[in-house]
Amino acid sequence: MKQRNAFVVGGTVLITLAVIVVGALWLGHVQLGSRPEKVTARFRTVEGLNVGAPVTLRGVKIGQVFRVELADSNWVVATLKLEARSEIPVNPAVIAATASLFGEWEAKIISLDDPLDDPAVRAELAAARTAGPDDWPGATLPDIGQLTAQAGRIAGDIALLTDRVGAVFDSTTAAKVRNSLDDFLTMVNRLTSFTNSQTTRVDSLSAKALEGTTDFASAARDLSATLSRIDSATSEGQLASIVNSTQGSATDLRAATADLRTLLGAAREHEVSLVRILVAADSIMGRLQAGQGTLGMLTKDSTLYNETTATMVELRKLIADIQVNPRKYFKFSVF
Amino acid sequence: MTHPARLRDSAPARQVAGFGTFALDAARALRDRRTWGPLLLEQMRRLGVESVPIALFIALFTGIVLALLSKYIFTGAVPIYFVGTLVGKAIMLELGPVLTGMALAGRVGANIAAEIGTMRVTEQVDALETLAYDKHAYLVVPRVLAGTLMFPVVTALAIALGVTAGYFTSLNLLDLSSAEFVKGLQIFYKFKDIWYGLVKAASFGAAVTLIGCLQGLATSGGAAGVGRRTTLAVVYGCEAILVLDAFWAVVLL
Repeated sequence: MKQRNAFVVGGTVLITLAVIVVGALWLGHVQLGSRPEKVTARFRTVEGLNVGAPVTLRGVKIGQVFRVELADSNWVVATLKLEARSEIPVNPAVIAATASLFGEWEAKIISLDDPLDDPAVRAELAAARTAGPDDWPGATLPDIGQLTAQAGRIAGDIALLTDRVGAVFDSTTAAKVRNSLDDFLTMVNRLTSFTNSQTTRVDSLSAKALEGTTDFASAARDLSATLSRIDSATSEGQLASIVNSTQGSATDLRAATADLRTLLGAAREHEVSLVRILVAADSIMGRLQAGQGTLGMLTKDSTLYNETTATMVELRKLIADIQVNPRKYFKFSVF
Repeated sequence: MTHPARLRDSAPARQVAGFGTFALDAARALRDRRTWGPLLLEQMRRLGVESVPIALFIALFTGIVLALLSKYIFTGAVPIYFVGTLVGKAIMLELGPVLTGMALAGRVGANIAAEIGTMRVTEQVDALETLAYDKHAYLVVPRVLAGTLMFPVVTALAIALGVTAGYFTSLNLLDLSSAEFVKGLQIFYKFKDIWYGLVKAASFGAAVTLIGCLQGLATSGGAAGVGRRTTLAVVYGCEAILVLDAFWAVVLL
């Protein structure tokens, strides 16, 4: 009985273990005997790219995301486990993108040699390559949920706009639009008749324009003749003579200018002397004004003037007395 | 507001305290390996292997119904391969462990409570104690160990059959190809999906068998008492499964 129990229990447990192991390996895409290759890719952000997400090459699953971890300088490094037999491009890069509308993400391996449309992705890949030359550069496309949300908002705005247009475009507006169209039709008819009436005038105008063109051609011919005359005058040396005379005049003018410049230089020198004289005169005048010196005192002090005047009167009287009585002042004797 | 002392003396509090004391006694009895060792395989066969058919039966129909329900739910915008995802995730994470646990709570819990309860009312337990046997080592430990070890085994088989049943249902009754179902099954798979269900199943096994033993040893009052305790063992076992299910969801998910 004990052996039977052991056999039954052991068998059940073994079968269960086998089921668990096989199921786990099968569900996890684990291939026994193959050595998967591990590579690292550098991203700014991986968004929804989690451990276990598929890694695809040209749409075919060739591995899965093994590890996602933060790196220095705000980078994220994802370790990808790839099947050994995968033919990786020479210049690989990884794009993390949503695989469907339901939140699945995948890591797509692309070749950097292939043209990339999105400049933002190109810039992100270039930055990742610069930051970590040993890692595959990675870029993340926007979450499709965000895009659909954006599209939803745009659709909502369009619906709102449509509602507003619908609210504005009621029957009154329609009648006004119809009236406007009628007016426009009337205007078109009038414009047509006006155009017809103007057509004859335009014909007349065209004829006159043709005459004007003929006159213009004649004037052009006259101008051509005049120009040819000028040309002949030039060839006979008359203009050259004028030019030569002008040159001579210019030379004389230049010499006169030089003389004038010399004269101005002399005047500038005299100006210096004149300034000096004026300064001296100003000084004298200042002293005179201040009553300094003989002249200053003469101008300022009336006593001297009065005395001088009195002296002059006395001198005149003396001269008159001398003239009257010379012997009183002069004696001539021989002995 | 209830006074703490009164709360401590209330019936639920006494039951929780009694369960804790009982579990500690059973843990202490683990040292008496010579007593429970020879009985373990027998209990593993009775509680585990003999429960496999009922668990597989439940899992079979759970897988079928889940596949049909998934197809019904996902008609429209959701891709049809998500049938595989729903069937796999639901059975591995929740329905496999819980439904199997419920079924075994009925079968195993009732079995243990009725057997030990009958031994109690016929004074066989007293006779064991008279012969210096530790009742915990002889009656409780082999059953609890067997339940803890075999519930995950039964649950794993149930999960495998449930997913397989969902697969064949999707192929035969729904317009789903094998590749689509497998894609849905594998797309969000994590290894945690498996061990999470098995850890839950082990805890369910321990709880159901402990409750069965406790109710059996607490039996009194003849056949009516055995019936009452058997009913309580099943009810408390199912409640414990649901509480533990929520607990593991909070702790592990």
